[in-house]
Amino acid sequence: MTFISTFAPSGGRRLLRSGFVMPAILVAIVAILVVAPLARILLSTLTPEGIAAWQAVLVSPLSFNLWWRPLFNTMVLGFGVASGCLILGGFLAWLVVLTDVPGRRLLGLMGTLPYMIPSFAAALAWGTLFRNSRLGGSAGFFETNGLAIPDWLAWGLVPTAIVLIAHYYSLAYTIIAAALSSVGADLVEAGQMAGAKRPRIFFGIILPVVTPALIAAASLTFAGAVANFAAPALLGLPVRMQTLSTRLFGMIETGQNERGFVLALLLIAVSALFLWMSDRIVSGRKAFVTVTGKGGRTKRFPLGAWRWPLFAVAVTIGLLTTVVPVLVLAASSLAPQSGALFSNWTLHFWIGEGGGEIAQGQAGIFRNPVLIDALWNTIRLGLVVALTTMLLGLALAYTIVQRRGSLLATILSQLAFVPLLVPSIAFAAAYIALFGAPIGPLPSLYGTFALLVIAASAHNLPFAVQSGRSVLGQISADIEESARLTGAGLLRRLFAIIFPLAIRGLFAGAILVFVKMVRDLSLVVLLFTATSPVLSMVAYRYAAEGFMQFANAITLVILIVCLAASFLAHGLQNRVQKWKQP
Amino acid sequence: MLKRLMKSALAACVVLPTAVMAADLDGMTPEQLLPLAQKEGSVTVFSLSSRIAKIEKAFEETYPGIDLIGLDMSSTKQIARLEAEQQAGVHAVDVLYIADTPVVFSKLLEAKRIVNYVPPRVAGQIDDRYKGPLLTQRLSTKVLMYNEKAFPGGSPVTNLWQLTQPEWQGKVLMVDPSQRGELLDLLTEIALHPDEMAAAYKAQFGKDIAVDADLQGAGEQFIKDLFANDLILVPNSDVLNKSVGDATAKNPPVGFGTYSDRRDNEKEGWALQVANNVEPANGILFPAILTIADKAPHPAAARLLIDFMFGDDTPTGGAGFEPFNVPGDYATRTTIAHHPDSVKLGELKAWTIDPAKTAAARGRVSDLIITLQ
Repeated sequence: MTFISTFAPSGGRRLLRSGFVMPAILVAIVAILVVAPLARILLSTLTPEGIAAWQAVLVSPLSFNLWWRPLFNTMVLGFGVASGCLILGGFLAWLVVLTDVPGRRLLGLMGTLPYMIPSFAAALAWGTLFRNSRLGGSAGFFETNGLAIPDWLAWGLVPTAIVLIAHYYSLAYTIIAAALSSVGADLVEAGQMAGAKRPRIFFGIILPVVTPALIAAASLTFAGAVANFAAPALLGLPVRMQTLSTRLFGMIETGQNERGFVLALLLIAVSALFLWMSDRIVSGRKAFVTVTGKGGRTKRFPLGAWRWPLFAVAVTIGLLTTVVPVLVLAASSLAPQSGALFSNWTLHFWIGEGGGEIAQGQAGIFRNPVLIDALWNTIRLGLVVALTTMLLGLALAYTIVQRRGSLLATILSQLAFVPLLVPSIAFAAAYIALFGAPIGPLPSLYGTFALLVIAASAHNLPFAVQSGRSVLGQISADIEESARLTGAGLLRRLFAIIFPLAIRGLFAGAILVFVKMVRDLSLVVLLFTATSPVLSMVAYRYAAEGFMQFANAITLVILIVCLAASFLAHGLQNRVQKWKQP
Repeated sequence: MLKRLMKSALAACVVLPTAVMAADLDGMTPEQLLPLAQKEGSVTVFSLSSRIAKIEKAFEETYPGIDLIGLDMSSTKQIARLEAEQQAGVHAVDVLYIADTPVVFSKLLEAKRIVNYVPPRVAGQIDDRYKGPLLTQRLSTKVLMYNEKAFPGGSPVTNLWQLTQPEWQGKVLMVDPSQRGELLDLLTEIALHPDEMAAAYKAQFGKDIAVDADLQGAGEQFIKDLFANDLILVPNSDVLNKSVGDATAKNPPVGFGTYSDRRDNEKEGWALQVANNVEPANGILFPAILTIADKAPHPAAARLLIDFMFGDDTPTGGAGFEPFNVPGDYATRTTIAHHPDSVKLGELKAWTIDPAKTAAARGRVSDLIITLQ
């Protein structure tokens, strides 16, 4: 590696250094991966049917119920969930990373869990507790115990928002904790020496330093909330609350694709507007570039008398958002009747031999011969996609941060955010149409693992870019500049400086991508032509046959895979960031 | 230029014989198809049901040498994938086992992305209306279901119009028809029978119906009144079955669900039963179809598979049909006996949808229900 730095810069390297090639390559990649499918979706709404769809959505007697009311609900959900997640996730991150609260490891673990549990589990858990008599059937826990639950608490916006916060706050926690952990102790100590009080250190030092992370977390949780389908469908439909995601799903499901695409494009436009505004806030204040990696462990605040009360609060949050949904999932993988979750438990759905009366003679999941295959496929897919997505995301985030405020950065950051909001069925269809045919000398990618990886990387790009940005934004430019002055090339700077410093954020992003990929079904079903399926496909098969117990058992297996991945990442980042160890 | 000409000439040489062959293949018996199919070596099927795995096993045992690749995915995803593949010039799938026929009709059949095929072996045992424009393998239901434990005297509803009365306010459930095609088809079918709906109205209330100026016919009026009577929408049939069927419920609602879900009554602790004695109809029967993709790469094996999935001559249909033979669903092939536990097909008071007609009327009904929410 040393020869690189002593070698006279060749023409190619000079170009690299001139900072032209890398952005050009990135623009090309983003154009192919994001703009092309998006353009294809846009074009399909410019046909005669498409124009009719624009009219129906925007200017017709339908538009109130098809667009405006769902838009209102969606925005209330988006902002409500984003603020709720910031408060909850930020509070937990502060507690775990910056204070001497007891049981930090446990709290940290509980903070990362909810995102790994599918949001429908949280919605089901809510129903188990709060369901009222509106739907008939057996009532929830509270009504059974004589406490009447009003409709607004059982159904609609309020429960949907609560369930989504309970699900997505861990996303905010992951990102904010990664950023907080790289707040230099020297900054805090400097503040303390200068006699600043705790609130002043918090608002004057810590908050500004993590602002990029807060905005990244807010954007991702916002996007997650507006794109989520399971929670608003389960909790909103009984009172006819439609969001843009339920409308969009319905339009595509009933064969009215153009209307669905119009809704998706409008949703992207509205979200892009908000993202642009948040970008302005960050780039308007360059002071956010701070110093990290100059040694020194994170400085912890003593909580004093508040240690245990705050611990109790955090544990309660963790219990409600992780343990309860996991319990409901676990119970529903053990209970023969989905209506009576806590009676007649059996392990049949896990290890039963089959052939008997239960489950029409189907054996438990661990006796399903495809399970191991599917498990392996799932892990492989998750790892590969997490890796490719993070590489691409890091490069993008680097360019965006380096050129903060420029037009290029604005466009790239906007485009990198879009894929989260494109319905995956449309995304996948666009990829098949774009890459199914051979392009020039390149062979057709149809049905290959490569196509799935490319599409999945593009689809998950927002996680990588947002988490990458939030950490890179903290790495001080002077470290990199001194390296540059000593002649280190871009690659060397990436691997020797940026990578180790940003590793926690990168792994945070990689975990988010991994989790999303391992759970996500739509892309895989449409793009993968393999007989050995992934876990989510196995779960879908069981669910489609009406065996929710098996499906929930698989969901728990997926959860364990995600957890293992997160432990692994944690171990790795501690090895790289040795200076953080006590 | 010359190269391109050569290419298209070559392509013509390849395509023309297959086009001729396809016509020949349609007339062949399974015995004649078998050697051709074995030469093709495999067949790929998109299936709405994961029970395709059982078919895979049975098919490969019956016809060794042909590898069945079954991919289960929803009808919507099948349509999206087939459209995208064919736009890219990829022809990878042979057979589609799919429902959502109004969309299949307008997006796939009219765009010539699929071709209809009727196996000659069973052609004489299937009603003409199930043979075209798309070949129906079996019929599923969306019909009015009630709780037989709570209403031991039979269905509490005998006329659809009763559901618009205060007695049933907030007590009728349905999976959101703006989310799921089959329920949209159900409401469309009601809208397509204005005369029957008007007659049922008169039978119920003893007077002629007055239809709002902006609506077409008694069917649409019924849809409007049903929504106005606090029709409760749910996200999926699981939620619906639990709410309607819960065997311990005191005063349960009724709902438009799937007759064959009744088979889970014992397992789930439900008491679901079909409300059959309902004027003018209790719901719809809708087809699951088997069809061949345009330019299927394995045309002989595709035909052999479709033939196989109509079962053998036994009353159960044998290994090729048995996985789909559940009480409450109905085989179109007349030699296959319907389940003794369920209402006979001829006695079920449900309308059978016509994919072409439904496809034409669906948009209007969809718009109507969007304004009603």
